Amino acid sequence: MTDDVATTPATDSAPHLAPGEVGLVSPHDFVHPSPFTFKSGQTIPGFTLRYETYGQLNATRDNAIVICHALSGDHHCAGWHSPTDKKPGWWNNLIGPGKAVDTRRFFVVSANVLGGCQGSTGPSALNPETGRPYGTLFPFVTIRDMVRAQKLLLDHLGVAELHGVIGGSMGGMQALLFAIEYPRFTRRVLAMATTARESAQAIAFNEVGRQAIMQDPAWNRGDYPRESGPRVGLAIARMMAHITYVSDASMDRKFGRKKKETAAGDAYTFDSQFEVESYLRHQGQSFINRFDANSYLYITRALDQFDLAHAYGSLESAFAPVEAETLIVGFTSDWLFPPEQNRALALALLRAGKRASYAELSTDLGHDSFLLESEELYTLVRGFLERDELYTFDYAI
Amino acid sequence: MTQLVVKRTVDMEIIGDWVEPHTRVLDLGCGPGVLLDYLVQTKQVSAVGVDLDFGRITACVRRGLAAYQGDMIAFMRAFPDQHFDRVICSRTVHELGDPTAVIMEALRVGRALTVGFVNHGFWKNRVDMLVRGRKLRNEVYNTEWFDSRPANPVTIADFEYFCAAKKIRIARRAHLAGNWHTPCRTLPNLFAGYALYDLAR
Repeated sequence: MTDDVATTPATDSAPHLAPGEVGLVSPHDFVHPSPFTFKSGQTIPGFTLRYETYGQLNATRDNAIVICHALSGDHHCAGWHSPTDKKPGWWNNLIGPGKAVDTRRFFVVSANVLGGCQGSTGPSALNPETGRPYGTLFPFVTIRDMVRAQKLLLDHLGVAELHGVIGGSMGGMQALLFAIEYPRFTRRVLAMATTARESAQAIAFNEVGRQAIMQDPAWNRGDYPRESGPRVGLAIARMMAHITYVSDASMDRKFGRKKKETAAGDAYTFDSQFEVESYLRHQGQSFINRFDANSYLYITRALDQFDLAHAYGSLESAFAPVEAETLIVGFTSDWLFPPEQNRALALALLRAGKRASYAELSTDLGHDSFLLESEELYTLVRGFLERDELYTFDYAI
Repeated sequence: MTQLVVKRTVDMEIIGDWVEPHTRVLDLGCGPGVLLDYLVQTKQVSAVGVDLDFGRITACVRRGLAAYQGDMIAFMRAFPDQHFDRVICSRTVHELGDPTAVIMEALRVGRALTVGFVNHGFWKNRVDMLVRGRKLRNEVYNTEWFDSRPANPVTIADFEYFCAAKKIRIARRAHLAGNWHTPCRTLPNLFAGYALYDLAR
Protein backbone atom coordinates (compact mmCIF):
# COMPACT_ATOMS: atom_id res chain seq x y z
CA MET A 1 0.00 0.00 0.00
CA THR A 2 1.00 3.59 -0.37
CA ASP A 3 2.29 5.73 2.43
CA ASP A 4 0.12 8.71 1.95
CA VAL A 5 -3.51 7.80 1.43
CA ALA A 6 -4.30 6.73 4.92
CA THR A 7 -4.11 9.57 7.26
CA THR A 8 -4.57 13.26 7.35
CA PRO A 9 -2.21 14.48 10.06
CA ALA A 10 -4.24 16.24 12.72
CA THR A 11 -3.67 19.93 12.76
CA ASP A 12 -3.62 19.88 16.52
CA SER A 13 -0.12 20.40 17.91
CA ALA A 14 -0.26 17.22 20.00
CA PRO A 15 -2.50 14.82 18.08
CA HIS A 16 -1.29 11.85 20.11
CA LEU A 17 -2.95 13.39 23.18
CA ALA A 18 -6.31 13.99 21.50
CA PRO A 19 -9.33 12.13 22.84
CA GLY A 20 -10.41 9.31 20.57
CA GLU A 21 -6.82 8.37 19.77
CA VAL A 22 -4.87 5.42 21.15
CA GLY A 23 -2.09 7.90 21.90
CA LEU A 24 1.53 6.90 22.41
CA VAL A 25 2.20 3.24 21.79
CA SER A 26 5.27 1.06 21.79
CA PRO A 27 6.01 -2.16 19.99
CA HIS A 28 6.81 -5.43 21.71
CA ASP A 29 8.74 -8.47 20.58
CA PHE A 30 7.35 -11.98 20.82
CA VAL A 31 10.16 -14.52 20.72
CA HIS A 32 9.12 -18.03 19.75
CA PRO A 33 11.98 -20.09 21.11
CA SER A 34 11.35 -23.38 19.32
CA PRO A 35 11.84 -24.46 15.72
CA PHE A 36 9.29 -23.37 13.15
CA THR A 37 8.76 -25.39 9.99
CA PHE A 38 7.56 -23.55 6.92
CA LYS A 39 5.14 -24.87 4.30
CA SER A 40 8.21 -25.48 2.13
CA GLY A 41 9.54 -27.94 4.73
CA GLN A 42 12.44 -25.63 5.62
CA THR A 43 12.96 -24.86 9.31
CA ILE A 44 14.32 -22.03 11.40
CA PRO A 45 15.34 -22.52 15.03
CA GLY A 46 12.94 -19.86 16.31
CA PHE A 47 11.55 -16.49 15.32
CA THR A 48 10.59 -13.07 16.57
CA LEU A 49 7.41 -11.19 15.72
CA ARG A 50 7.24 -7.49 16.46
CA TYR A 51 3.74 -6.43 17.42
CA GLU A 52 1.60 -3.77 19.03
CA THR A 53 -1.59 -4.02 21.04
CA TYR A 54 -4.25 -1.44 21.82
CA GLY A 55 -7.04 -1.83 24.37
CA GLN A 56 -7.38 -4.55 26.99
CA LEU A 57 -7.97 -8.27 26.73
CA ASN A 58 -11.17 -9.02 28.66
CA ALA A 59 -11.64 -11.63 31.38
CA THR A 60 -13.08 -14.19 28.97
CA ARG A 61 -10.16 -13.47 26.61
CA ASP A 62 -12.43 -13.34 23.58
CA ASN A 63 -12.46 -9.66 22.58
CA ALA A 64 -9.31 -9.70 20.47
CA ILE A 65 -9.23 -8.30 16.97
CA VAL A 66 -6.24 -9.01 14.77
CA ILE A 67 -5.22 -6.45 12.18
CA CYS A 68 -3.25 -7.95 9.27
CA HIS A 69 -1.08 -5.67 7.21
CA ALA A 70 -0.44 -5.58 3.47
CA LEU A 71 2.80 -6.12 1.53
CA SER A 72 4.69 -3.07 2.72
CA GLY A 73 2.82 -2.42 5.97
CA ASP A 74 3.86 -3.26 9.49
CA HIS A 75 2.70 -3.79 13.07
CA HIS A 76 2.33 -0.06 13.74
CA CYS A 77 -1.28 0.47 12.66
CA ALA A 78 -2.47 3.00 15.24
CA GLY A 79 -1.16 5.66 17.60
CA TRP A 80 2.18 7.42 17.71
CA HIS A 81 5.58 6.10 18.75
CA SER A 82 6.74 9.51 19.89
CA PRO A 83 5.20 12.97 20.19
CA THR A 84 7.40 14.11 17.31
CA ASP A 85 6.12 11.45 14.85
CA LYS A 86 4.83 13.10 11.70
CA LYS A 87 2.25 10.41 11.11
CA PRO A 88 0.37 7.92 13.26
CA GLY A 89 0.09 4.20 12.46
CA TRP A 90 -1.20 3.31 9.00
CA TRP A 91 -4.80 2.49 9.98
CA ASN A 92 -5.14 5.08 12.74
CA ASN A 93 -8.31 6.45 11.13
CA LEU A 94 -10.06 3.11 11.76
CA ILE A 95 -8.65 2.08 15.14
CA GLY A 96 -8.99 3.89 18.46
CA PRO A 97 -11.30 4.63 21.36
CA GLY A 98 -14.76 5.22 19.87
CA LYS A 99 -13.61 4.56 16.31
CA ALA A 100 -14.94 1.84 13.98
CA VAL A 101 -12.59 -0.65 15.62
CA ASP A 102 -13.23 0.56 19.14
CA THR A 103 -10.28 -0.02 21.47
CA ARG A 104 -12.54 0.60 24.47
CA ARG A 105 -14.27 -2.69 23.63
CA PHE A 106 -11.67 -4.64 21.74
CA PHE A 107 -8.13 -5.79 22.33
CA VAL A 108 -6.42 -5.03 19.03
CA VAL A 109 -3.31 -6.98 18.04
CA SER A 110 -1.18 -6.22 15.02
CA ALA A 111 2.05 -8.00 14.15
CA ASN A 112 4.69 -7.54 11.50
CA VAL A 113 4.55 -10.67 9.34
CA LEU A 114 7.06 -13.47 9.34
CA GLY A 115 9.45 -12.72 6.48
CA GLY A 116 9.05 -8.99 7.08
CA CYS A 117 11.71 -6.47 7.97
CA GLN A 118 10.21 -4.23 10.64
CA GLY A 119 11.44 -6.23 13.59
CA SER A 120 10.02 -9.64 12.74
CA THR A 121 12.24 -12.45 11.59
CA GLY A 122 12.86 -12.36 7.86
CA PRO A 123 15.68 -12.60 5.36
CA SER A 124 17.47 -9.63 6.94
CA ALA A 125 17.63 -11.40 10.34
CA LEU A 126 20.86 -13.03 11.41
CA ASN A 127 21.19 -16.68 10.53
CA PRO A 128 22.48 -18.28 13.76
CA GLU A 129 24.35 -20.84 11.70
CA THR A 130 26.44 -18.28 9.85
CA GLY A 131 26.19 -15.16 11.99
CA ARG A 132 25.25 -13.24 8.84
CA PRO A 133 21.83 -12.20 7.49
CA TYR A 134 19.88 -15.11 6.02
CA GLY A 135 19.46 -13.46 2.64
CA THR A 136 18.12 -15.98 0.16
CA LEU A 137 18.88 -18.82 2.60
CA PHE A 138 15.76 -17.77 4.48
CA PRO A 139 12.97 -20.32 3.95
CA PHE A 140 10.28 -19.50 1.41
CA VAL A 141 7.36 -17.89 3.22
CA THR A 142 3.70 -18.42 2.47
CA ILE A 143 0.68 -16.46 3.65
CA ARG A 144 -0.22 -19.53 5.70
CA ASP A 145 3.20 -19.46 7.40
CA MET A 146 2.55 -15.81 8.32
CA VAL A 147 -0.82 -16.74 9.82
CA ARG A 148 0.57 -19.73 11.75
CA ALA A 149 3.25 -17.50 13.29
CA GLN A 150 0.63 -14.94 14.33
CA LYS A 151 -1.48 -17.70 15.90
CA LEU A 152 1.52 -18.62 18.08
CA LEU A 153 1.71 -14.98 19.17
CA LEU A 154 -2.01 -14.96 20.00
CA ASP A 155 -1.60 -18.16 22.05
CA HIS A 156 1.27 -16.48 23.86
CA LEU A 157 -0.95 -13.46 24.61
CA GLY A 158 -3.60 -15.79 26.05
CA VAL A 159 -6.26 -15.03 23.46
CA ALA A 160 -8.94 -17.74 23.71
CA GLU A 161 -11.03 -16.70 20.73
CA LEU A 162 -10.81 -13.96 18.12
CA HIS A 163 -13.69 -11.56 17.96
CA GLY A 164 -12.46 -10.80 14.47
CA VAL A 165 -9.62 -10.58 11.96
CA ILE A 166 -9.39 -7.57 9.68
CA GLY A 167 -7.13 -6.99 6.73
CA GLY A 168 -6.88 -5.36 3.32
CA SER A 169 -5.05 -6.73 0.30
CA MET A 170 -2.48 -9.26 1.59
CA GLY A 171 -4.02 -8.66 5.03
CA GLY A 172 -7.33 -9.91 3.63
CA MET A 173 -5.66 -13.13 2.48
CA GLN A 174 -4.35 -13.66 6.00
CA ALA A 175 -7.75 -12.95 7.50
CA LEU A 176 -9.36 -15.58 5.25
CA LEU A 177 -6.69 -18.11 6.19
CA PHE A 178 -7.35 -17.50 9.89
CA ALA A 179 -10.95 -18.61 9.31
CA ILE A 180 -9.89 -21.63 7.25
CA GLU A 181 -7.04 -22.83 9.47
CA TYR A 182 -8.52 -21.94 12.86
CA PRO A 183 -12.29 -22.18 12.35
CA ARG A 184 -13.23 -22.49 16.01
CA PHE A 185 -10.88 -19.69 17.03
CA THR A 186 -12.02 -17.15 14.45
CA ARG A 187 -15.50 -15.69 14.82
CA ARG A 188 -15.45 -12.87 12.26
CA VAL A 189 -13.45 -12.13 9.15
CA LEU A 190 -13.42 -8.76 7.45
CA ALA A 191 -11.37 -8.89 4.25
CA MET A 192 -11.13 -5.89 1.96
CA ALA A 193 -9.64 -5.33 -1.48
CA THR A 194 -8.34 -8.86 -1.60
CA THR A 195 -8.46 -12.01 -3.69
CA ALA A 196 -8.48 -15.79 -3.52
CA ARG A 197 -5.58 -15.69 -5.96
CA GLU A 198 -3.77 -13.03 -7.87
CA SER A 199 -4.45 -12.52 -11.54
CA ALA A 200 -1.68 -12.83 -14.12
CA GLN A 201 -1.51 -9.03 -14.19
CA ALA A 202 -0.85 -8.80 -10.44
CA ILE A 203 1.84 -11.50 -10.65
CA ALA A 204 3.32 -9.66 -13.61
CA PHE A 205 3.65 -6.42 -11.65
CA ASN A 206 5.30 -8.27 -8.76
CA GLU A 207 7.71 -9.90 -11.17
CA VAL A 208 8.78 -6.56 -12.65
CA GLY A 209 9.44 -5.35 -9.10
CA ARG A 210 11.50 -8.43 -8.30
CA GLN A 211 13.47 -8.10 -11.53
CA ALA A 212 14.24 -4.46 -10.74
CA ILE A 213 15.72 -5.63 -7.43
CA MET A 214 17.54 -8.69 -8.72
CA GLN A 215 19.01 -6.91 -11.75
CA ASP A 216 20.53 -4.31 -9.46
CA PRO A 217 24.20 -5.39 -9.07
CA ALA A 218 24.04 -4.42 -5.40
CA TRP A 219 21.54 -7.21 -4.80
CA ASN A 220 24.42 -9.67 -5.16
CA ARG A 221 22.15 -12.74 -5.06
CA GLY A 222 20.62 -11.51 -1.86
CA ASP A 223 23.91 -11.25 -0.02
CA TYR A 224 24.37 -7.61 0.95
CA PRO A 225 25.17 -5.73 4.15
CA ARG A 226 22.18 -4.61 6.22
CA GLU A 227 22.59 -0.90 5.59
CA SER A 228 23.05 -1.02 1.84
CA GLY A 229 21.83 -3.38 -0.85
CA PRO A 230 19.91 -2.89 -4.10
CA ARG A 231 18.57 0.55 -3.29
CA VAL A 232 18.04 1.54 -6.91
CA GLY A 233 16.18 -1.65 -7.74
CA LEU A 234 14.01 -1.51 -4.62
CA ALA A 235 13.11 2.11 -5.27
CA ILE A 236 12.06 1.30 -8.84
CA ALA A 237 10.03 -1.67 -7.61
CA ARG A 238 8.25 0.60 -5.18
CA MET A 239 7.62 3.34 -7.74
CA MET A 240 5.96 0.89 -10.07
CA ALA A 241 3.99 -0.87 -7.34
CA HIS A 242 2.79 2.46 -6.05
CA ILE A 243 1.06 3.12 -9.38
CA THR A 244 -0.90 -0.12 -8.98
CA TYR A 245 -2.22 0.97 -5.56
CA VAL A 246 -3.87 4.13 -6.86
CA SER A 247 -5.89 4.88 -9.97
CA ASP A 248 -5.78 6.90 -13.14
CA ALA A 249 -8.46 9.22 -11.75
CA SER A 250 -6.84 9.75 -8.35
CA MET A 251 -3.39 10.41 -9.85
CA ASP A 252 -4.90 12.80 -12.30
CA ARG A 253 -6.70 14.66 -9.54
CA LYS A 254 -3.60 14.85 -7.40
CA PHE A 255 -1.02 15.70 -10.04
CA GLY A 256 -2.60 16.13 -13.44
CA ARG A 257 0.14 17.42 -15.70
CA LYS A 258 1.40 19.87 -13.10
CA LYS A 259 5.05 20.64 -13.43
CA LYS A 260 7.59 21.34 -10.76
CA GLU A 261 8.30 25.01 -10.24
CA THR A 262 11.94 24.43 -11.11
CA ALA A 263 11.06 22.72 -14.39
CA ALA A 264 12.10 24.88 -17.30
CA GLY A 265 9.23 24.95 -19.80
CA ASP A 266 9.53 22.26 -22.40
CA ALA A 267 13.20 21.75 -21.68
CA TYR A 268 14.67 18.74 -23.37
CA THR A 269 15.91 17.00 -20.27
CA PHE A 270 15.24 13.78 -18.40
CA ASP A 271 15.35 15.43 -15.01
CA SER A 272 12.01 15.14 -13.34
CA GLN A 273 9.66 17.81 -14.68
CA PHE A 274 6.21 16.62 -13.77
CA GLU A 275 5.10 16.57 -10.17
CA VAL A 276 4.05 12.94 -10.51
CA GLU A 277 7.65 12.05 -11.37
CA SER A 278 9.17 13.68 -8.32
CA TYR A 279 6.38 12.25 -6.20
CA LEU A 280 7.17 8.71 -7.33
CA ARG A 281 10.90 9.29 -6.88
CA HIS A 282 10.19 10.45 -3.36
CA GLN A 283 8.07 7.36 -2.71
CA GLY A 284 10.89 5.14 -3.93
CA GLN A 285 13.50 6.95 -1.84
CA SER A 286 11.51 6.88 1.39
CA PHE A 287 10.73 3.20 0.88
CA ILE A 288 14.37 2.12 0.67
CA ASN A 289 14.99 3.64 4.08
CA ARG A 290 12.40 1.43 5.71
CA PHE A 291 12.19 -1.76 3.70
CA ASP A 292 14.50 -4.65 2.95
CA ALA A 293 14.83 -5.75 -0.67
CA ASN A 294 14.94 -9.46 0.16
CA SER A 295 11.79 -9.14 2.26
CA TYR A 296 10.16 -7.53 -0.77
CA LEU A 297 11.13 -10.56 -2.87
CA TYR A 298 9.89 -13.04 -0.27
CA ILE A 299 6.58 -11.34 0.44
CA THR A 300 5.70 -10.69 -3.21
CA ARG A 301 6.46 -14.35 -3.86
CA ALA A 302 4.14 -15.33 -1.01
CA LEU A 303 1.43 -13.18 -2.58
CA ASP A 304 1.91 -14.82 -5.98
CA GLN A 305 1.82 -18.31 -4.51
CA PHE A 306 -1.38 -17.69 -2.59
CA ASP A 307 -4.14 -19.65 -4.33
CA LEU A 308 -6.93 -20.95 -2.14
CA ALA A 309 -8.59 -23.01 -4.88
CA HIS A 310 -5.32 -24.72 -5.74
CA ALA A 311 -4.29 -25.29 -2.13
CA TYR A 312 -7.56 -26.83 -0.99
CA GLY A 313 -8.92 -28.36 -4.21
CA SER A 314 -11.57 -25.70 -4.78
CA LEU A 315 -12.69 -22.46 -3.20
CA GLU A 316 -15.73 -24.21 -1.75
CA SER A 317 -13.64 -26.91 -0.11
CA ALA A 318 -11.20 -24.25 1.13
CA PHE A 319 -14.11 -22.57 2.89
CA ALA A 320 -15.80 -25.78 4.06
CA PRO A 321 -14.39 -25.65 7.62
CA VAL A 322 -15.10 -21.91 8.11
CA GLU A 323 -17.29 -21.06 11.09
CA ALA A 324 -16.69 -17.32 11.06
CA GLU A 325 -19.10 -14.74 9.78
CA THR A 326 -17.42 -13.12 6.83
CA LEU A 327 -17.66 -9.69 5.29
CA ILE A 328 -15.85 -9.00 2.03
CA VAL A 329 -15.52 -5.41 0.84
CA GLY A 330 -14.53 -4.49 -2.71
CA PHE A 331 -13.79 -1.06 -4.19
CA THR A 332 -14.97 -0.06 -7.64
CA SER A 333 -11.68 1.55 -8.73
CA ASP A 334 -9.40 -1.23 -7.44
CA TRP A 335 -7.77 -2.62 -10.55
CA LEU A 336 -5.14 -4.67 -8.70
CA PHE A 337 -7.62 -6.88 -6.80
CA PRO A 338 -10.78 -5.77 -8.61
CA PRO A 339 -14.35 -6.05 -7.25
CA GLU A 340 -14.94 -9.19 -9.32
CA GLN A 341 -12.25 -11.09 -7.37
CA ASN A 342 -13.74 -9.91 -4.07
CA ARG A 343 -17.23 -10.93 -5.18
CA ALA A 344 -15.91 -14.37 -6.08
CA LEU A 345 -14.82 -14.85 -2.46
CA ALA A 346 -18.24 -13.97 -1.06
CA LEU A 347 -20.04 -16.12 -3.62
CA ALA A 348 -17.83 -19.14 -2.90
CA LEU A 349 -18.40 -18.73 0.84
CA LEU A 350 -22.16 -18.62 0.23
CA ARG A 351 -22.01 -21.66 -2.04
CA ALA A 352 -20.19 -23.44 0.77
CA GLY A 353 -23.19 -22.59 2.96
CA LYS A 354 -21.41 -19.96 5.08
CA ARG A 355 -22.65 -16.65 6.39
CA ALA A 356 -20.97 -14.17 4.10
CA SER A 357 -21.68 -10.62 3.00
CA TYR A 358 -20.30 -8.54 0.18
CA ALA A 359 -20.32 -4.76 0.08
CA GLU A 360 -18.84 -2.57 -2.60
CA LEU A 361 -17.83 1.02 -2.09
CA SER A 362 -17.69 3.44 -5.01
CA THR A 363 -14.36 5.22 -4.81
CA ASP A 364 -11.81 6.43 -7.30
CA LEU A 365 -8.74 5.85 -5.14
CA GLY A 366 -7.84 2.42 -6.49
CA HIS A 367 -6.56 -0.53 -4.48
CA ASP A 368 -5.64 1.59 -1.46
CA SER A 369 -9.28 2.62 -1.04
CA PHE A 370 -9.49 0.31 1.95
CA LEU A 371 -7.49 2.94 3.87
CA LEU A 372 -10.06 5.57 2.95
CA GLU A 373 -11.44 8.00 5.48
CA SER A 374 -15.09 7.22 4.87
CA GLU A 375 -17.98 7.37 7.31
CA GLU A 376 -19.82 4.81 5.17
CA LEU A 377 -16.98 2.35 5.54
CA TYR A 378 -16.67 3.03 9.28
CA THR A 379 -20.41 2.39 9.79
CA LEU A 380 -20.14 -0.89 7.94
CA VAL A 381 -17.06 -2.03 9.87
CA ARG A 382 -18.52 -1.03 13.22
CA GLY A 383 -21.85 -2.66 12.35
CA PHE A 384 -20.10 -5.89 11.45
CA LEU A 385 -18.04 -5.96 14.66
CA GLU A 386 -20.67 -4.72 17.10
CA ARG A 387 -24.05 -5.37 15.47
CA ASP A 388 -27.26 -3.67 16.51
CA GLU A 389 -30.00 -5.31 18.49
CA LEU A 390 -32.48 -7.32 16.48
CA TYR A 391 -35.57 -5.69 15.11
CA THR A 392 -38.43 -6.02 17.51
CA PHE A 393 -41.53 -6.93 15.57
CA ASP A 394 -44.88 -5.52 16.50
CA TYR A 395 -47.07 -8.58 16.06
CA ALA A 396 -50.31 -6.69 16.39
CA ILE A 397 -51.58 -6.56 12.86
CA MET B 1 -27.49 0.52 19.83
CA THR B 2 -30.77 1.46 18.27
CA GLN B 3 -33.98 -0.26 19.12
CA LEU B 4 -36.01 -0.61 15.97
CA VAL B 5 -39.60 -1.61 16.25
CA VAL B 6 -41.04 -2.69 12.96
CA LYS B 7 -44.68 -3.31 12.30
CA ARG B 8 -45.14 -6.77 10.96
CA THR B 9 -47.30 -6.59 7.88
CA VAL B 10 -49.80 -9.17 6.64
CA ASP B 11 -47.76 -9.96 3.55
CA MET B 12 -44.77 -10.57 5.83
CA GLU B 13 -46.88 -12.95 7.86
CA ILE B 14 -48.05 -14.85 4.76
CA ILE B 15 -44.51 -15.10 3.38
CA GLY B 16 -43.44 -16.38 6.79
CA ASP B 17 -46.20 -18.99 6.76
CA TRP B 18 -44.97 -20.30 3.42
CA VAL B 19 -41.34 -20.59 4.57
CA GLU B 20 -40.32 -23.90 6.10
CA PRO B 21 -38.26 -23.54 9.30
CA HIS B 22 -34.49 -24.05 9.11
CA THR B 23 -34.36 -23.75 5.32
CA ARG B 24 -32.11 -21.73 3.03
CA VAL B 25 -33.73 -18.52 1.86
CA LEU B 26 -32.64 -15.90 -0.70
CA ASP B 27 -34.30 -12.48 -0.70
CA LEU B 28 -33.98 -10.56 -3.98
CA GLY B 29 -34.06 -6.83 -3.30
CA CYS B 30 -33.74 -7.32 0.43
CA GLY B 31 -33.57 -3.61 1.32
CA PRO B 32 -32.44 -3.06 4.92
CA GLY B 33 -33.32 -6.66 5.75
CA VAL B 34 -36.57 -6.30 7.70
CA LEU B 35 -38.28 -9.30 6.10
CA LEU B 36 -35.16 -11.46 6.37
CA ASP B 37 -34.73 -10.53 10.00
CA TYR B 38 -38.36 -11.53 10.62
CA LEU B 39 -37.79 -14.89 8.91
CA VAL B 40 -34.57 -15.49 10.84
CA GLN B 41 -36.29 -14.66 14.12
CA THR B 42 -39.45 -16.68 13.50
CA LYS B 43 -38.29 -19.52 11.23
CA GLN B 44 -34.57 -19.75 12.01
CA VAL B 45 -33.82 -19.75 8.29
CA SER B 46 -30.34 -19.45 6.89
CA ALA B 47 -30.79 -16.26 4.92
CA VAL B 48 -29.01 -14.10 2.40
CA GLY B 49 -30.26 -10.94 0.77
CA VAL B 50 -29.23 -9.22 -2.44
CA ASP B 51 -29.45 -5.49 -2.99
CA LEU B 52 -27.74 -2.83 -5.06
CA ASP B 53 -27.25 -0.22 -2.38
CA PHE B 54 -24.26 0.00 -0.01
CA GLY B 55 -26.33 1.61 2.74
CA ARG B 56 -28.91 -1.19 2.68
CA ILE B 57 -26.19 -3.83 2.77
CA THR B 58 -24.74 -2.01 5.78
CA ALA B 59 -28.18 -2.06 7.44
CA CYS B 60 -28.36 -5.84 6.92
CA VAL B 61 -24.83 -6.38 8.24
CA ARG B 62 -25.66 -4.31 11.32
CA ARG B 63 -28.56 -6.71 11.96
CA GLY B 64 -26.28 -9.71 11.63
CA LEU B 65 -27.77 -10.71 8.28
CA ALA B 66 -25.75 -11.92 5.32
CA ALA B 67 -26.22 -9.64 2.34
CA TYR B 68 -24.64 -9.28 -1.07
CA GLN B 69 -24.29 -6.03 -2.96
CA GLY B 70 -24.73 -6.57 -6.67
CA ASP B 71 -26.88 -7.58 -9.57
CA MET B 72 -29.39 -10.31 -8.67
CA ILE B 73 -29.13 -12.23 -11.93
CA ALA B 74 -25.34 -12.30 -11.78
CA PHE B 75 -25.64 -13.42 -8.17
CA MET B 76 -28.01 -16.28 -8.94
CA ARG B 77 -25.86 -17.46 -11.87
CA ALA B 78 -23.10 -18.19 -9.36
CA PHE B 79 -25.22 -20.90 -7.70
CA PRO B 80 -26.09 -24.45 -8.70
CA ASP B 81 -29.69 -25.59 -9.36
CA GLN B 82 -31.96 -25.61 -6.32
CA HIS B 83 -29.26 -24.27 -4.00
CA PHE B 84 -31.94 -22.34 -2.11
CA ASP B 85 -35.10 -23.83 -0.67
CA ARG B 86 -36.95 -20.61 -1.34
CA VAL B 87 -36.34 -17.37 -3.20
CA ILE B 88 -38.37 -14.33 -2.24
CA CYS B 89 -39.10 -11.39 -4.46
CA SER B 90 -41.22 -9.12 -2.29
CA ARG B 91 -42.18 -5.63 -3.42
CA THR B 92 -39.37 -5.83 -5.97
CA VAL B 93 -40.83 -7.40 -9.10
CA HIS B 94 -42.12 -4.10 -10.54
CA GLU B 95 -38.60 -2.64 -10.54
CA LEU B 96 -36.93 -5.48 -12.43
CA GLY B 97 -35.43 -4.63 -15.79
CA ASP B 98 -36.00 -8.14 -17.07
CA PRO B 99 -38.65 -9.81 -14.88
CA THR B 100 -38.80 -12.99 -16.97
CA ALA B 101 -35.06 -13.59 -16.64
CA VAL B 102 -35.09 -12.96 -12.89
CA ILE B 103 -38.11 -15.18 -12.24
CA MET B 104 -36.84 -18.04 -14.41
CA GLU B 105 -33.39 -17.84 -12.81
CA ALA B 106 -35.00 -17.73 -9.34
CA LEU B 107 -36.96 -20.87 -10.19
CA ARG B 108 -33.69 -22.54 -11.17
CA VAL B 109 -31.69 -21.72 -8.02
CA GLY B 110 -34.72 -22.08 -5.74
CA ARG B 111 -37.14 -24.92 -5.17
CA ALA B 112 -39.87 -22.33 -4.71
CA LEU B 113 -40.32 -18.65 -5.41
CA THR B 114 -42.52 -16.24 -3.49
CA VAL B 115 -43.54 -13.08 -5.32
CA GLY B 116 -45.44 -10.27 -3.60
CA PHE B 117 -46.64 -7.15 -5.40
CA VAL B 118 -49.14 -4.29 -5.46
CA ASN B 119 -52.03 -5.05 -7.82
CA HIS B 120 -52.35 -2.18 -10.25
CA GLY B 121 -55.69 -3.63 -11.39
CA PHE B 122 -57.28 -2.87 -8.00
CA TRP B 123 -60.37 -0.76 -8.68
CA LYS B 124 -59.22 2.14 -6.53
CA ASN B 125 -55.94 2.29 -8.40
CA ARG B 126 -57.89 2.35 -11.65
CA VAL B 127 -60.25 5.05 -10.39
CA ASP B 128 -57.36 7.01 -8.94
CA MET B 129 -55.71 7.11 -12.32
CA LEU B 130 -59.03 7.89 -14.01
CA VAL B 131 -60.06 10.62 -11.59
CA ARG B 132 -56.83 12.08 -10.30
CA GLY B 133 -54.77 11.32 -13.32
CA ARG B 134 -51.67 10.94 -11.18
CA LYS B 135 -49.14 8.19 -10.54
CA LEU B 136 -50.18 5.61 -7.96
CA ARG B 137 -48.94 6.36 -4.42
CA ASN B 138 -48.97 3.97 -1.49
CA GLU B 139 -46.62 2.25 0.96
CA VAL B 140 -44.72 0.57 -1.87
CA TYR B 141 -44.92 3.37 -4.43
CA ASN B 142 -44.05 6.06 -1.95
CA THR B 143 -42.25 8.62 -4.09
CA GLU B 144 -43.13 11.11 -6.80
CA TRP B 145 -42.45 9.85 -10.32
CA PHE B 146 -39.43 12.12 -10.61
CA ASP B 147 -37.89 10.66 -7.47
CA SER B 148 -38.67 7.08 -8.47
CA ARG B 149 -36.74 4.35 -10.18
CA PRO B 150 -38.36 3.08 -13.37
CA ALA B 151 -41.31 0.90 -12.45
CA ASN B 152 -43.16 -1.70 -14.44
CA PRO B 153 -46.67 -1.86 -12.96
CA VAL B 154 -48.27 -5.29 -12.92
CA THR B 155 -51.80 -6.53 -12.26
CA ILE B 156 -53.00 -9.87 -10.92
CA ALA B 157 -54.36 -10.72 -14.37
CA ASP B 158 -50.99 -9.84 -15.94
CA PHE B 159 -49.15 -12.03 -13.49
CA GLU B 160 -51.49 -15.02 -13.88
CA TYR B 161 -51.14 -14.71 -17.66
CA PHE B 162 -47.35 -14.62 -17.32
CA CYS B 163 -47.34 -17.81 -15.24
CA ALA B 164 -49.60 -19.60 -17.74
CA ALA B 165 -47.51 -18.46 -20.70
CA LYS B 166 -44.24 -19.58 -19.07
CA LYS B 167 -45.80 -22.79 -17.73
CA ILE B 168 -44.96 -21.84 -14.16
CA ARG B 169 -46.96 -23.75 -11.58
CA ILE B 170 -48.79 -21.62 -9.01
CA ALA B 171 -48.60 -23.62 -5.79
CA ARG B 172 -50.42 -21.07 -3.64
CA ARG B 173 -51.82 -17.60 -4.00
CA ALA B 174 -53.02 -15.05 -1.49
CA HIS B 175 -54.99 -11.95 -2.43
CA LEU B 176 -55.49 -9.16 0.05
CA ALA B 177 -58.19 -6.51 -0.11
CA GLY B 178 -57.50 -2.81 -0.49
CA ASN B 179 -56.39 -2.57 3.14
CA TRP B 180 -53.63 -5.15 2.38
CA HIS B 181 -55.02 -6.97 5.39
CA THR B 182 -58.20 -8.98 4.91
CA PRO B 183 -58.35 -11.78 2.37
CA CYS B 184 -60.06 -11.00 -0.93
CA ARG B 185 -61.92 -13.91 -2.51
CA THR B 186 -63.97 -12.39 -5.33
CA LEU B 187 -62.67 -10.91 -8.56
CA PRO B 188 -59.16 -10.34 -7.16
CA ASN B 189 -57.91 -8.40 -10.16
CA LEU B 190 -60.55 -5.81 -9.38
CA PHE B 191 -60.89 -6.07 -5.60
CA ALA B 192 -57.44 -7.10 -4.32
CA GLY B 193 -54.94 -4.40 -3.49
CA TYR B 194 -52.07 -6.78 -2.85
CA ALA B 195 -51.12 -10.20 -4.21
CA LEU B 196 -48.75 -12.97 -3.15
CA TYR B 197 -47.81 -16.00 -5.23
CA ASP B 198 -45.94 -19.11 -4.37
CA LEU B 199 -44.41 -20.50 -7.57
CA ALA B 200 -42.65 -23.66 -8.59
CA ARG B 201 -41.27 -24.83 -11.88
